[in-house]
Amino acid sequence: MAQIFSPRAGLYAWLVLATLGVAAIVAVLAWRGLTAAPFAVDEPVPQPVPFSHRHHVGDDGIDCRYCHASVETEAFAGIPPVSTCMTCHSQLFTDQPLLAPVVASWESGEPLRWQRVNMLPDFVFFNHSIHVAKGVGCVTCHGRVDRMPLTWRAHSLSMAWCLDCHRNPAPNLRPREAVFDMAWTNEDPQRLGTRLMHEYRIDTSTLTECSTCHR
Amino acid sequence: MPSLSADQAEIMAALRTRVGNARGPRYWRALDELIDEPAFRRHLHDALPQVSQLAPALDRRAFLKLLGASLALAGLGACSGPPPERILPWIQQPEGVPDSLPQFYATTLCAGGNVAGVLVETHQGRPTKIEGNPAHPASLGGTDPLLQAAVLELWDPDRSQSPVHQGVASTWDAFATEAAALQRRFEPDGRGLHVLSGTIRSPTLARQRREFLARFPGAAWHQYEAVDEDNALAGAMLAFGRPLQMRLRLDQAAVIVSLGADFLYEMPGHLRHARDYADRRKRVLEGFTGRDPSSAPTPGRLYAIEATPSLTSANADHSWPLAESALPAFARELAAALGIADAAGGPASGMPERRVQAIAADLRANRGQSLLLAGPSLPAEVHALVHRLNAALGNVGRTLDYFEPAEPREASAASLQALTAAMSGGMVEALVILDGNPAYATPGELGFPELLAKVPLSVHLGLHRDETGVACHWHLPATHALESWSDLRAFDGSASLVQPVISPLYDGRSMHQLLDLLTGSGGAPPIDLVRVTWDGVLDEAGWQQSLRQGVIGGSAPHAVGATASAAPSVELSHETQGSDIELLFRPDPHIRDGHYANNGWLQELPKPLSHLTWSNAALVSPRLAAELALGNGDVIRIAANGRELEAPVWIMPGQAERSITLPMGYGRLVAGHVGEKLGFDANALRHAASPWRIEGARLTKTDRHVALASTQQHHRMEGRDPVHRMTLAAFLANPPAKTPERRSLYPPRLQKSGAEGYAWGMSIDLDACIGCNACTAACQAENNIPVVGAEEVRRGREMHWIRVDRYYEGRPEAPATWHQPVPCMHCEHAPCEVVCPVGATVHDSEGLNLQVYNRCVGTRFCSNNCPYKVRRFNFLQYADLDTPQLEAQRNPDVSVRNRGVMEKCTYCIQRIRVARIGADREGRRIEDGEIATACEAACPTRAITFGNVADPDSAVSREKASPRSYALLEELNTRPRTTYLAALRNPNPALEDES
Repeated sequence: MAQIFSPRAGLYAWLVLATLGVAAIVAVLAWRGLTAAPFAVDEPVPQPVPFSHRHHVGDDGIDCRYCHASVETEAFAGIPPVSTCMTCHSQLFTDQPLLAPVVASWESGEPLRWQRVNMLPDFVFFNHSIHVAKGVGCVTCHGRVDRMPLTWRAHSLSMAWCLDCHRNPAPNLRPREAVFDMAWTNEDPQRLGTRLMHEYRIDTSTLTECSTCHR
Repeated sequence: MPSLSADQAEIMAALRTRVGNARGPRYWRALDELIDEPAFRRHLHDALPQVSQLAPALDRRAFLKLLGASLALAGLGACSGPPPERILPWIQQPEGVPDSLPQFYATTLCAGGNVAGVLVETHQGRPTKIEGNPAHPASLGGTDPLLQAAVLELWDPDRSQSPVHQGVASTWDAFATEAAALQRRFEPDGRGLHVLSGTIRSPTLARQRREFLARFPGAAWHQYEAVDEDNALAGAMLAFGRPLQMRLRLDQAAVIVSLGADFLYEMPGHLRHARDYADRRKRVLEGFTGRDPSSAPTPGRLYAIEATPSLTSANADHSWPLAESALPAFARELAAALGIADAAGGPASGMPERRVQAIAADLRANRGQSLLLAGPSLPAEVHALVHRLNAALGNVGRTLDYFEPAEPREASAASLQALTAAMSGGMVEALVILDGNPAYATPGELGFPELLAKVPLSVHLGLHRDETGVACHWHLPATHALESWSDLRAFDGSASLVQPVISPLYDGRSMHQLLDLLTGSGGAPPIDLVRVTWDGVLDEAGWQQSLRQGVIGGSAPHAVGATASAAPSVELSHETQGSDIELLFRPDPHIRDGHYANNGWLQELPKPLSHLTWSNAALVSPRLAAELALGNGDVIRIAANGRELEAPVWIMPGQAERSITLPMGYGRLVAGHVGEKLGFDANALRHAASPWRIEGARLTKTDRHVALASTQQHHRMEGRDPVHRMTLAAFLANPPAKTPERRSLYPPRLQKSGAEGYAWGMSIDLDACIGCNACTAACQAENNIPVVGAEEVRRGREMHWIRVDRYYEGRPEAPATWHQPVPCMHCEHAPCEVVCPVGATVHDSEGLNLQVYNRCVGTRFCSNNCPYKVRRFNFLQYADLDTPQLEAQRNPDVSVRNRGVMEKCTYCIQRIRVARIGADREGRRIEDGEIATACEAACPTRAITFGNVADPDSAVSREKASPRSYALLEELNTRPRTTYLAALRNPNPALEDES
């Protein structure tokens, strides 16, 4: 009787198994890559109220600090209390169904539950105030929020991305008075940045140390 | 282990049988493999607890199965991204409440009988950390472990959350009905209505007591505290005829003689005492090393004579153990030597005459700047005698003064006995217990729980539904001090306000509110109950000022002139029934009378001298242990006055030979998840008439052994020299020269400071350190350090980032004791860094040895290579991530570490970063003293100094320039940034030939 399996069948069997194994690993990695963060870069994040930065910042020209009041003094930029919304919206668009959750929150005292857009792991300690003080513009990390009808993450916020700037901050610096300016541009960011680094006493030798962000 | 030889013989016999019965060849590599049989393992566990821990809990196959499954699951778990996070905004942001910056509120806490002003750090309304209030006279910025643990007490998940009536959950409304009925029932005169509170330290409570007794004239109010000051009170009555209180000024006292008085740790006001004591020593040194040595104050000397070692005797220049029964005789001998004629005669104390004469000569030479102190457990006559001696030495008005207490003082034991007498006589119709646990913390002889069961109506207000709460008809949840309005008086009589820093977490009320409910309608807002007390004293501005400062200005009473009259001479008791062994009762250093039993931080904090955790033990002297063939952990049966208990022993060097100390506070039956069924209950042997000491105890050794969890097994210096110490005379005559810097093969770059010129370093003054553990507790609170439990401590896995080592020197009967806090040394040539395979521990340019948790894979090489053993590994998931209360307690500026990660002292890098960012934002440099690490801030004696060593003018640089400065294990040339200042002692030259 002829042999059912040729001498090479064993090898093929091993190859098939190995391929399956590799495919499984690749599949897992791909899945992991796709699901790593709840929301990908440039993907609008659904919110309980479809708040539009484009409308409030772009159209109405409200300053960032009107709502994110602690950005210059604290680690956390601050999320506006509902009372801030109600300064205008007790008068404007009061009966809009889109605004109903805000009104309901104001009346019931039950806070809104915003979805976090820019998120860092718990072992990273980011401080807004020092970045603002050293001339890093809002746009640098958050993108053109004045063009975002729904807010999305503009950058990966990965460690490599942070380090790119911490190693060479110059191209991302701007004069302090332009930090909150969405449309500010400069022809030669490297030259201006080098001057600002000197002026704002930015020391890159300590910026890439682990203790700068991790503790 | 000679006592185990019989067991071992048995094991060997059984082994031989097994090997003999085996069929064919059977191979084994280790004995425990061979004897792996359930019955045998049990036997092994009884005989050799250490070995049985090594016995495998899993066989190889099960282990591989679990390993495979956990790998697969871990892989799956890694497949999801971080969970989405929500942000919840305020509805209306309160003015002045920042989003992420901490805020500090001044308030006052009473911990273990000691009232101290504190600043409470809150993050978004959550109290997370206690700091001392520099403006408060009883703190001056220092804290102790009990104060540090107050935040954990607030967030304790086992706190009682709602009223309970007859074991069924009830409401305050239901109790209000009961209270109204009570008021009607006791309307005419209140006979049969009894209230039991602790010592009244609150002016508001005193006012409410007056009002209560005015409303119900026939009612009785009792004050009982398990750790009482009855003897001091009775002593003052004997000497002055009025209950005067003593206020010490230790910064003026050169020669101090303490007769069992632990003024550095146990006595109320100890934070202030420790600060004054250490400051004077610093002034002496600064004077001698300064330009004009003649301006230096007289070098101080502390004599401590006591039966059981305390932190005061550990810091004394001369400490001699003496049985407590002989202390009165010693006091009399000293008085006779000082020329108080009527003190002569009576039995001898056994203290060598030359010591008595030497002390007396020292006291006479320092008239007006000496101080005698008697401990709370000594009889009233000794206190009275000490008052006379202080007066005779001209100390009154200089090193101490007296004042009239504003609140009524009452003898605690007598007050309790009046209550129990009324209870057993059936006279108590209703009993209201205000924040106490008498069903546990009363002498067993009184049978309080049985008497309580006979009371027709009992009400208990307390933080926990404890032994008393369970036994009473009504249990009412109390608010924590951080949730309530109140006021408190400190040891020196100065008053300060208690303000809430968070609204009550549960449905609790303060004792002021409960009393308001019992005498009135109960509707008054809690703040009004306190304000009313201060009407006429504090106007609105004064009230605000007192709240902000944390102390009511000018509230300390004036000193009164007092002449101590001759008291009846001290009688020595001679009731040695059966044996000459005396039993001493002491509050546990951390658990106190049991109040803190459910506090994990305090349970795990090593006791300052024994370094025991999670249990108490009967402290015996080395000689008594040798006589009875006792080892640490052997259980003895102690019988006295017809009652008995079993307790594991701990051999305590420096313990008086025939005295056994039984720490209180353990053996709790209803305390919560943490504190139940640990140790033994010393109250069982306590006697109401003499709560501190009983004589004639009989001991029997049992064959039981308890594995006690001690964090330091080594008591000797092992030939090394971790603690540098010298006598003051030797230091002044011949200050040690700086050791020249050794050569190193490491590149020198690490010594350089950062480009901005900061180089962080620390100096710890061993002369100032009293070994109180406040630093360890403060570090635990600040850095989210988990509690691991007794089992893990026995395996040596405690997580404290700063430990306080204790070393003995000399004869075990009366050794010299040294304490040494050991945080991470932040070595410039760090041995841990070179062995980390993943670069998880690295240096930064400011000299910090960093631990990067997100890089750490847990090889533990670093810990292995650390000569100081300051690295701590999360062997298990120690951090509790599930209990919401504990989550709320944590410091949001510090990572919570997970299982498998190494951690260690960071020099409080979060505080450095906050100061750094603040200074950077304002374009200035960080000032000296702007950063205080948690340990430095907590230290009552300012023994720890942290700062920039690159700045020659900084406080830490000045400390490091001292000739006393040295590095731990300097011979290893790790160039630690943490250095020490040598400890000094100033023994009496007349007693040079003895230690």
